Order: sequence, then structure tokens, then C-alpha cells
Amino acid sequence: MWAGTGYRYEPYLEAPLEPPAARDRAATGDRKQAVARLRGRERQLAARLKSTAPRGVYIVIDQTHNRIYLKRDDDTLLEAVCSAGSGMVLKEGSGKKRQWVFDTPRGSFEVLSRSENPVWAKPDWAFVEEGQPIPKNPTERIEYGSLGEYALNFGNGYMIHGTLYERLLGRAVSHGCIRVGRDDLRKIWAAATIGTHIYIY
Amino acid sequence: MHTGLLGRPLRRNRLGISAAIGLLLAAGACSRGPGGSAADTSAATDVARLERSTALLQRQLELAGARDFYLLLDPAAPDLTLMLRGAELRRFPVLGLQVGTPRISWFSRRDARAWQGVIWSRGELDPPRPIDRIVVTPVEGGKPDEAAEPPPIPPTAEELYPVPSRFRVRFSGGLSVEIRPREGDANAGSFARFRAWWSAKWGDVVAAMRSSDRDAVRLRIVLNPKDADSLYRSLPPAVRLLVLSGGPPQP
Repeated sequence: MWAGTGYRYEPYLEAPLEPPAARDRAATGDRKQAVARLRGRERQLAARLKSTAPRGVYIVIDQTHNRIYLKRDDDTLLEAVCSAGSGMVLKEGSGKKRQWVFDTPRGSFEVLSRSENPVWAKPDWAFVEEGQPIPKNPTERIEYGSLGEYALNFGNGYMIHGTLYERLLGRAVSHGCIRVGRDDLRKIWAAATIGTHIYIY
Repeated sequence: MHTGLLGRPLRRNRLGISAAIGLLLAAGACSRGPGGSAADTSAATDVARLERSTALLQRQLELAGARDFYLLLDPAAPDLTLMLRGAELRRFPVLGLQVGTPRISWFSRRDARAWQGVIWSRGELDPPRPIDRIVVTPVEGGKPDEAAEPPPIPPTAEELYPVPSRFRVRFSGGLSVEIRPREGDANAGSFARFRAWWSAKWGDVVAAMRSSDRDAVRLRIVLNPKDADSLYRSLPPAVRLLVLSGGPPQP
């Protein structure tokens, strides 16, 4: 019973085209017209498909392997290590119910704003993580220098920015942002403009 | 009354000639038939090829217009490309491509469902990638202790996610892809190889005998070990797949 049971594997072959005899019985002239019409349609669809691909420079981030790629069309301009979200869950103590999950979002984004020497307005979780009280005064949230020289904001508080902890690049240690080393960040900053596509998988 | 060459009445002879001409014309028409002549066959093949090509372009446009990640399997290249919204994210060269169908006691349960030229949806890893989240609840008012040891350096993806010697991406509708690294177990001992083989064989037997339509069509894709590992570690959830046109390149 077990013999011959399982899966039979065969080399992949493309499905044969439907034989002409079974196809429409149009006259030769009609078929020529159909070929011309379909060729036009094929060109049109191919052009539409090409237009979906990103034009110019775009950024691809492999968050599992903590790699960032700067690309233009089929060329990779830069491959660098980065740090994506740690996946850690932070729970607020003292009977409070808030919690944060430090994941980097997957999907398609674009650079919404760029800033030089960015300041970080620390969110609540940054204080909770350090066991510090959450300040009432917004100015107490401001921190200088921790985001490096540049930041590219791609929405919902997520950014590509520099880091003080370059030795941890290549490992998932961030709170969801993408941390990049200083030299690589300079190259990315020089190439990326507002509207540059960012794809994170 | 006129007579013909054989002395038959000419009228009957004319009828006979007309019938012969009619038969010849009909035979000619039949030989041209639906797609009979080379030109007709070529035009009909072109129509079929173009219809397939435009249908695949439509499917690709549909995939590029959606929010989901998708894989394009191009047997002609041959490669497997992870895509999102028309952007190529990662390309994996394909080293081998086979189609598997279940069989019981040598009888193949070949499935008639369409899998070429259609979008496979909701692909998930099997076995699933483990997610091990660290949950932290800090003590309020706690200050970082200067004398304490620094937090351990977190593991890399390679350290964090062990990759099985073979894994599948299961799609809805009984379609699946089995990813195998080339010579993935070459470095393993003979007992480990036998255990892996037995485990795979037993899994195949169970899958083939299952009455449900899970794994009714299974594509086996052989990748470089590093690529197979990378695909397992980074494949996004609910991925879609489209098999493009064309056969594998001839050696």
C-alpha cells in the first residue's frame, strides 16, 4: 500500500497552447486582425505594468536580515546593514493597560519629510521603557543627537535615521524605525527625496 | 441525344464532372480546414500565445495594484522574485523546478484544477516561522544601573530562526510550493539524512492519502541553500504567487 504512495514529480512543462483546431474557426483575415489587436493590447498592458514599477531611486529594506538597499531601476547603488524593529513587547506597569510592540511595518511607503540634525520628541513608551514618569511639559521630551545627522520620515512616527549604537547594526534592536550607520545614511540622504519609495519586507 | 466518351449520356457525364469538382473543392476546403494551412496554423498559434500573454500581463497588473506581497515564478529565466506594487524586492535563482501530483499505490491522482496563469493566494509558510517575542514590564522609577551588565546583544536572523531542510508555502485551494535547498543535507550524517528522507517520505504518504484537497498540486522549487534559508526567514505572510509563461531553458 505504501509503495507507490506519495508524490510523483515530473519536470515542469508549460501548459500547451490550445490547438488551433479547437479554437475559433475564424477566417485567416479575422485571425490576422485578432493578432494585430492582441499585439496592441499586449503592448498597452506591458506599458501599464512597467509604469507600476518605481521610477528613479527607491529603497528596499529586508527587516528580517537587517539590510537596506538603495536601488535605481535594476541597479543596486548601495547595500548596507541596518537595524529594524526588535519585535519586543513593552507593557506599562502599575496596573496600566498600555502596551507597545516594536515591529517595523511591512509594505510600501514613501519619504514624507526629510530633516537634518533631527531632534527626537520622545514618545510615552521611551519613558515607560526607562521606568521614568511621563513628562507633562513637551519640552522635556526633546532629545538631541540620538537620531544621527539625518532622518527620513515615512509616516506614523517611523523614520530611517542614524544611531549612536553602530555596533548593533545588523541586529533587530530598534523600536520600529530603521537605524543606519553614519556613512551609509549620508549616501541615502543624498539620493532620497520627498516621494522616494520605500519597500519594507 | 449527345453521348459522352463512354457512350453514356452527356448530361449524366456533366453531373459526374460537377460532382467530382465539388468533391475536389470540398477536399480542398477540408484540408485548409480550421487551421489547416501553415499560415492559418501560425496565425491561430499567435492568437493563442497572445491571449495567454495578455492574460498573464493582466494578472501581473492585478498583483501590482494590490497591497499584498507576491512571488513571480518565471520558469523561463528561471527565477522566483518577491515583489510588491511592481517593485522587485528580492530575486532567487531557481535551480530546479518540478510539478508533483499525489498518487496512491502507483495510481496518480492528477488534478484538473487550473494553476498556471492564475493567481495563487494566501500563501503561508509550513512549518510556520516561530515568533519569539520578549515581553518587558519595567519597574517604575527604576534608574539604569551603571554597574549592571549591559543588555545582551540580540541574535541575528540566522541565529534566531532555524530553517527546516525543506519547507512549503501553502496557498488556498490545495496549491503549494515546496522549497528545497540544493544538497541541503549534504553536510548531515547518514542517520540524519535517512531521518530527513523518512520524515519527508512519510509526510508525502500522509498528504497523498488525505482526502482533502491540500497539496493537490505541488511545485517543487530547488534553490541555493542560502536563498532557501533567506526566503524562509523573510517571506511575508499571506503572499500571492503567479507562474509566468514559458518553459524552462533547454540545456
